[in-house]
Amino acid sequence: MRFAHPRRLFLAAIAFIAAHAAAHAQDLTASAPVDVSVTVYRDPYRNAGGFDLNNLNGFALITETRRVVLTPGQHRLRFEGVADGIEPASAIVTGLPSGVIEKNRDAALLSPAALVDAAEAQQGRVLLSRTAPNGTTSRREGVIRSGADGGVVFETPDGVEALRCSGLAETVSFEATRTGLSAQPTLSVLTRVNQRIEATVQLSYLARGFDWAADYIVSLSPDGRKLDVGGWITLANGNGTGFPNARVQIVAGRLNRESGEIEPIDFGRPILARCWPRGSTSDTPDPAYIERAYPLGFEPDRYSTRNYMAMPAPTAAMAESKMDDVVVTAARRAEQEDLGDLKLYRVPDRSTVASRQAKQVRLLDSLAVPVSRTYDFDLYPNNTMEFEPMEVILRTQNDTASNLGIPLPSGRVSVFETAGSGATSRRLLAGETSLRDLAVNEETEFLLSGGAAVQIRQTTESRQRPDPQPPGVKGQTIRTGARFNMVDLVEITNAHPFPIQAEVSVYLADNEELVRADRDPERKNGRPIFRMTVPANESLEFRYQTVEYN
Amino acid sequence: MSIRTILAASCTLVALQSALPAFAQDKALAITIYADDLALVQDKRPVDVTGGRQRIEFAGVSAQIRPETVSLSANGVTIVEQNFDFDLLTPAKLMEKAVGSVVTIVRVNPATGQEVREQAEVLATNNGVVLKIGERIEVLRDDGLPVRVIFDKVPENLRSRPTLSVTVDGDRRGSRPATLSYLTSGLGWRADYVALFDDASSKIDVQGWVTLTNSSGTTYDNADTTLVAGSPLRAGGGYDDQRYGRPQRPQLVTAGTETGDRERLGDFYLYPLAERTTIANMQTKQVSFLDVHGVPAKHGYEFRNYWMGTQEEPQSAKTVYRFATGSADGLGDQLPAGVLRFYMRDKQGDPQFIGESTIDHTPMGSTLSVSTGDAFDVKVKPVVEKRERLSSRRWRTTMKYTLSNASPRAVTVALQQDGLWGDTRIQSETMRSTRPNADMAEWQVNVPANGATELTVVFDSSY
Repeated sequence: MRFAHPRRLFLAAIAFIAAHAAAHAQDLTASAPVDVSVTVYRDPYRNAGGFDLNNLNGFALITETRRVVLTPGQHRLRFEGVADGIEPASAIVTGLPSGVIEKNRDAALLSPAALVDAAEAQQGRVLLSRTAPNGTTSRREGVIRSGADGGVVFETPDGVEALRCSGLAETVSFEATRTGLSAQPTLSVLTRVNQRIEATVQLSYLARGFDWAADYIVSLSPDGRKLDVGGWITLANGNGTGFPNARVQIVAGRLNRESGEIEPIDFGRPILARCWPRGSTSDTPDPAYIERAYPLGFEPDRYSTRNYMAMPAPTAAMAESKMDDVVVTAARRAEQEDLGDLKLYRVPDRSTVASRQAKQVRLLDSLAVPVSRTYDFDLYPNNTMEFEPMEVILRTQNDTASNLGIPLPSGRVSVFETAGSGATSRRLLAGETSLRDLAVNEETEFLLSGGAAVQIRQTTESRQRPDPQPPGVKGQTIRTGARFNMVDLVEITNAHPFPIQAEVSVYLADNEELVRADRDPERKNGRPIFRMTVPANESLEFRYQTVEYN
Repeated sequence: MSIRTILAASCTLVALQSALPAFAQDKALAITIYADDLALVQDKRPVDVTGGRQRIEFAGVSAQIRPETVSLSANGVTIVEQNFDFDLLTPAKLMEKAVGSVVTIVRVNPATGQEVREQAEVLATNNGVVLKIGERIEVLRDDGLPVRVIFDKVPENLRSRPTLSVTVDGDRRGSRPATLSYLTSGLGWRADYVALFDDASSKIDVQGWVTLTNSSGTTYDNADTTLVAGSPLRAGGGYDDQRYGRPQRPQLVTAGTETGDRERLGDFYLYPLAERTTIANMQTKQVSFLDVHGVPAKHGYEFRNYWMGTQEEPQSAKTVYRFATGSADGLGDQLPAGVLRFYMRDKQGDPQFIGESTIDHTPMGSTLSVSTGDAFDVKVKPVVEKRERLSSRRWRTTMKYTLSNASPRAVTVALQQDGLWGDTRIQSETMRSTRPNADMAEWQVNVPANGATELTVVFDSSY
C-alpha cells in the first residue's frame, strides 16, 4: 500500500508548488498574431528544378506582431502556434520594455508518450480504467512506474502490473493540470516588469519546411523569332502551422545557410503495449499495440520517398500532389525590390499561407522577346563520333530592348511551340530546361534538347596525307616539336525546310592547338568555335586538324 | 484548474512547508557547459547517513552521464562502490526478473466479469511465460482469455530511467551535505548573433545570445549555470566541433590582441548566467550576452578563381561584410563560436534575413570578414583565353576576367586568383595586383553602376 500513503501524496503536492514558486514566473500567453509577415527563401542547395512538396528544404523568416498585457512581476510569456519548423536559436523578440531574461523553446509537445513520461517523472496520479469483455468497467488510481522502451508499468494498491498485457481493455487517464506540455509548438520568453503595461511585441524567427521556385512558361512564336515569357512564383508551406492574412515576400539569390541541425519537434514515440513474451502452445499472435498517430504530413514513409513533384504551372499535374490544395492567386504581379545583394519580391496583397499549401503568384509577363535559335555542339578532336542530334539554344539578352530587363530568379522553364496552323493548331510542350539566376543585361540562354532533324558526326581521317590539306588557321603558328593529330571531318545535316545557324566548339587539352581548318574559327570562352549556316534540307562538312606539344 | 488556482487553494499548506524537509530547495545544482557537447554537473544535497554500509541513490542525474567521471564527496563517508543501473523497467524485464518467484494471476470470466485469483510461480519466460499453479504447469494466456498478472513489487535494479547509486560506509549517523559531480554529454551551447546592417550608414547593430540545448534526457531545476567558451577536450576522445563546417574562406582577417573583462578559466572565457535557471529536457534556451549598436561595417564583394578556371557562365561574387571586434570601433567583446545572422531592412522598413555564417571563437580586437551569400547583380566570368607552351617547363597563360554589375551603384570586387604555387609570375596585367600570399594574386576591381570591367592578366608559370 505504498502508493496510498497520505504523506507521500502530500509531499508530491508540496514539490509541485515549490517548483512553480521557485521560478516566480507567471505563465502568460500572448495574443494570437495580429499581423504576420512571411518571407520565403529557397533551398540554397536545390538546383533550378522544382521542389518536392513533401520534403521542403527551404526556409522562411516569420515576423509576428502580438499583443500582451503584463502586470508587475516576472512572466513567462508564451507565444503559441509558432511554426513547427522553428529554429529556436534564431528567434528575436522586440517590444518588451524590460527586455528578455531568457528565451525557451520546448521541443516536447503534448503526445501520448510525453504524457506517460510526465506522469512518471512527477509521480502523478493516473486513473486506470479496465473494461471486461462483458462491459463492466472498473477504475483504479495508480502511478506510472515506467514508460521506458514503449511498455508501460504501473502500480496500484493491487500491486505492479503492465498496461494492456492482460488481454483486457485497459487505458490510463492523466490529471489535466499536471502535464506542463504545450499542444502547439511554443516559444516562451522570461521577462520582468515593474508596472502594468500593454505592449505590442514582435516575434521573428526562421522556420524550416518552406520553399519556393520560379517557373517560366515560354511560348515560341510560329516563326521561331519571338518568345512570350510568363513566370510564376510557387511558394509552399510544409509546416503544420498556417499564417492567415499575411504579408508575403520571397527572396531570390543564394544566401549562406550554416545553422546545421536543429532540435526537431518531438512528437513522442508511440506507446506500445510491449508485454512479456507471448508465445503459446498453438499460435504466436503479433503483440497488440496502440497505433501511433502521426501529424499530417509527418508519416515516416513520406520522408523515404523522394518524389520530385513537377510544378511547371498550375496544371492537372497538381492533382497528384499530397498537399491539401494549391491556390492560384489572381495574376497581379509580385513587386520586386533590392534587398542588399538579393532580390525581394512582394506579393501585392495580403494573402494566407495555409498549412501544407502551395501557392502561386505571377512573377512576370513579357511579350515578343526577340530570340535567336542556334544549334550547338561540343567536339573533342582526334576522335570519331557517330551521328548525334545537336542541341538547341534560344538566345536573347535580359535587357529592356528585348522586352525583359528584370532580374530573373533561377527556375525551371517549359517551352511551348505551336504545331499545325489555323483551326487545327495546338500549343504543345517543346522542351523543358532551366535558368540560373540572371541579372539585368546578362545573356540569356534556353538550352533545349534538339529533335532528330539536325545531326552532327565527326570522323577522324588519316594523319599521313590529308588531301586536300585544310588551310592553316590565321595567326596560328606551328612551332617546332609539334606533333600532328589526325584530321577530323565534321558533317552537319539539316532536315528542316529552312536554313539553320550552327555552332561547334572545340574543346582542346592544355597542350593542343587548332592549326588547320576549312572554315575560320572564332573564339568563345577561350576555345575555338565554328559558326555557320546550314542551308535548308542540306548538309555541310568541314575539316580541322590539331597539333600536340609534348 | 489553472496553476494560479492550485496555488491559491494550496496556500494553507505553505505554512506547513517549512516544517517538512524541503524538496526542491535542498538540491543545489551547478552546471558548467563547454562548447563541445560536454558539461560538468555539480549536485549538492544533504544525505542522511545511517552509519555503516548503505546505498545512496541519486535519481535525476543526467541520462547521458559518463559514469566513470562520477565523484561523491561528503565528510566522514567512504565510498565502497558506485553503480550505474541502466536496466530499464519494462513489462518483459519485470516478468524476466520474476522467474522463480510467485506472482498473483487474476483470471477474468469474459461472460460474467467474475475474477478468480491464484498464486503462480514463474518458471520460464522463453518465447512465452510458463507458470506453475499448484501442481499444474500452464502457459500464460495460452487460451487467449484475459489474465492479469500482478507483481508484488518492482525489482530493485529495474528503473524507469538510468540511476546512479553509490554504496558508502559512513562513520556516524546524521545528515550532512554531499557533493556529487560528474561529466555528461547531451548539454551544449553556442552563440547566436543577430546583426542588423544599415546600408545607408554602413553600420551594424549586433545582439549576441548564448543558446543552450539539452538533450541529455534530464531536466536540471534551478541550476547555477556557467558557460565556457572553448573546447577543453584535447587528449584521446577529443574531436573538433563537427556541428559546423569550417569556413571555406578565411574569416579572421586579423586576430585580436585585446583582453576583455570577462572571467576566465585558463585560456577560456566564462559566461556565467546572471540568474539561476531551469534547463528542461529537450529545451533550447537563450540568454543575452551582447548588445551593441552602430558598429562600422564595410560591405564588399569577393570572388576567388581557381587555377585555370574557365566559367561558361558568369558566377556571382560573394557578398562580404567586414567589421572589427575591438573596443575602439568594434563590438568590444570576444565572440564565442556560433552563427552570425545578418538582417537588413526592406523598403517597408521590415528587417529581412540576408544570410548567415558560422564564426569561430574570436578574440577581442580582431577583424572579421564574413560572407552572407552570393550577390545577384555582381558577377565574374573568368576565361582562360590562351595557353602557350614556351618550353618544356614554361607556360604562358592569358586570363580574362569580365566583371559585371547590374546594380545602380558602383561596386568594388576583390578578385582573387588562387593556385599560383609561389613561382608563378605575372607577366602583364591591365590593373595592379597585390600578392597577399605566394599562391594568390588579388585585384581590387571597380565596376561601374550598370556596367562591366575587363581585366586581362598574363601569367608565366612552370606548368
